[in-house]
Amino acid sequence: MKRNTFSYKVKQYLMFGGVGTFLFCAVVIVPFIYGIYLTFTSWDGVSRDKPLVGFANYAAAFKDADFWMAMGRTVIYSVFAVVFINILAFAMAYLVTSGVKGQNFFRAGFFVPNLIGGIVLGYIWKFVFNRAFVAIGNAITGGTTTSLLATPRGAMFCLIFASVWQYAGYMMLIYVAGFMSVSDSLKEAAMIDGCTPAQAMRNVTIPLMRSSFVQCIFLSITRCFVIYDVNLSLTKGEPFGESVMAAMHVYNTAFTYKRYGQGQAEALILFIVCAIIGVTQEWIGKKGEVEA
Amino acid sequence: MSSLSLKHIEKIYPNGFHAVQDFNLEVEDKEFIIFVGPSGCGKSTTLRMIAGLEDISDGEFLIDGVKMNDVEPKDRDIAMVFQSYALYPHMTVRDNMGFALKLRNVPKDEIDAKVNEVAKILDLEKLLDRKPKALSGGQRQRVAMGRAIVRNPKVFLMDEPLSNLDAKLRVQMRTEIAKLHERLGTTIIYVTHDQTEAMTLGTRIVVMKDGIVQQINTPEHLYNKPCNLFVAGFIGSPQMNFLDAVVEVKGSDVFLHVGDDVLKVPDNKKQVLIDGGYDGKVVVLGVRPEYFGDGRGLEDQFCTLKCKIEVRELLGAEVFLYGDINGKQCTARVAPEVDLVHGMLATYSVNMDKIQLFDKETELNLLYHD
Repeated sequence: MKRNTFSYKVKQYLMFGGVGTFLFCAVVIVPFIYGIYLTFTSWDGVSRDKPLVGFANYAAAFKDADFWMAMGRTVIYSVFAVVFINILAFAMAYLVTSGVKGQNFFRAGFFVPNLIGGIVLGYIWKFVFNRAFVAIGNAITGGTTTSLLATPRGAMFCLIFASVWQYAGYMMLIYVAGFMSVSDSLKEAAMIDGCTPAQAMRNVTIPLMRSSFVQCIFLSITRCFVIYDVNLSLTKGEPFGESVMAAMHVYNTAFTYKRYGQGQAEALILFIVCAIIGVTQEWIGKKGEVEA
Repeated sequence: MSSLSLKHIEKIYPNGFHAVQDFNLEVEDKEFIIFVGPSGCGKSTTLRMIAGLEDISDGEFLIDGVKMNDVEPKDRDIAMVFQSYALYPHMTVRDNMGFALKLRNVPKDEIDAKVNEVAKILDLEKLLDRKPKALSGGQRQRVAMGRAIVRNPKVFLMDEPLSNLDAKLRVQMRTEIAKLHERLGTTIIYVTHDQTEAMTLGTRIVVMKDGIVQQINTPEHLYNKPCNLFVAGFIGSPQMNFLDAVVEVKGSDVFLHVGDDVLKVPDNKKQVLIDGGYDGKVVVLGVRPEYFGDGRGLEDQFCTLKCKIEVRELLGAEVFLYGDINGKQCTARVAPEVDLVHGMLATYSVNMDKIQLFDKETELNLLYHD
């Protein structure tokens, strides 16, 4: 059998990648392209008719002040969440790779929140913020404590807190892999060269963990940008719609207000933002790739 | 001046494994000390204890008379070349070499001058702006050496620095290290499992086995006067041949029976067998491969052994003959002109002045004691 022919290569590809390619096209590519088509219609999400309206949905999306406010909130939320997620994840990874007793237990424990679905996690923390903390506060102050979720800033804080709690364990695993990829002989060489532990961390370990940092930071940014489940279960956009994030606004536009085309256009804008972040991550990661 | 003193050094790991036992060594200034032994013998552990990378469980380690047991590696004024070179992959060669000086807040001009000077010595000038991944194995090895030299430390520690190089480069680098030691005149402690490196580089060799020092002496001394079977077998390539021999004291003469062959022990070696009451007992006869020769015509002089030759290896300047003497595998190193080939029942002559005799039970050399 000739192995260099086009038909042979196609057969080989279909044999190994055919099913995967079909499923990927069926659930990602086709809906995505169909979604782009819908941005040019005024479909309400229910009727059979999908009248073409050109770029009207994009114009509406750009004029939608609520959307841009939600985007702004998402940026603020993402900045804080990304910073805290990564600081905490790095610290936890350092702890569980430092040879501390019971490090495997800690490693598993820190990862558990990531296994809990966002909706469940949101309801758990809603209970904690609304009931548990309030009850404790009331017991201390004598009954004047209100829930953190009752104020816009408090709700934002709760969202950031729950996200950090959820994602830090996952990012920790990437940092753990980063720590473990730095060979012991390099750390020992640094010690002999005259580094204090802090200098070894700054001059040797952290530069060699660059790819872990890039991955974690960009992964957490993209995850934060599309937050929906925790947003829904923890705050539901309240109080006064002040905690509505971009993804929730997109959902509301499409399904609550029945402006499917506009919602889809806003979703595409959100996608472009995330894609830019992803491509930047890839570029930065490749640029600074170091063979450890 | 920098002298090292290791007194009754012990290393016991938390799991109870005794890696190094009662290690004693005095290292004089400018000495090139080699730790040699098989894998797991404790040589690298000892080196790491000297570096401060492993805690010393018991005993005292001093540099220039100052106790170093609890001193941080960075404050011991030592430099180390690792087996894996341990070059910082994100730094250029220049930065790698100057890193230790930078940490000591040496002015940049001075760092540059020192790095350039060492780069010149090691022929690294054109590579200074490259990163380690763009270097060959030999170049990386030289950078690792350069990083150590730049600091001008009291002691160089080298942990199997040539083991990742190919055979040809290893020989070349071995020569360069020897030249460097001559030029720098610094104390070097070098770990290897390659006895050839040990023999060619060291001013003194420490032979270790199972965490215990077997013998410490010059390469010549270890080769000619090994203290026990292990050292005799470990030092020398191909290794020494060991044959069981029954001692027979006949009047004032002493003979060794190896199968049907009989060897007469020279006068200067026989007394220890007589005094030790070895008559009728089995001892281990040690003969280095080069002390076998073509013994045709010497059969009646009590200095020959019969050997069934199995393999003849021509190495150019010499020939190795692998064969069987009284059921034991033996190697002879002879000149290419010797026309013994595989399948022949050869008669080897034995240079009886060079034989070694070991007690079968204690494995100690009966002829020499350190």
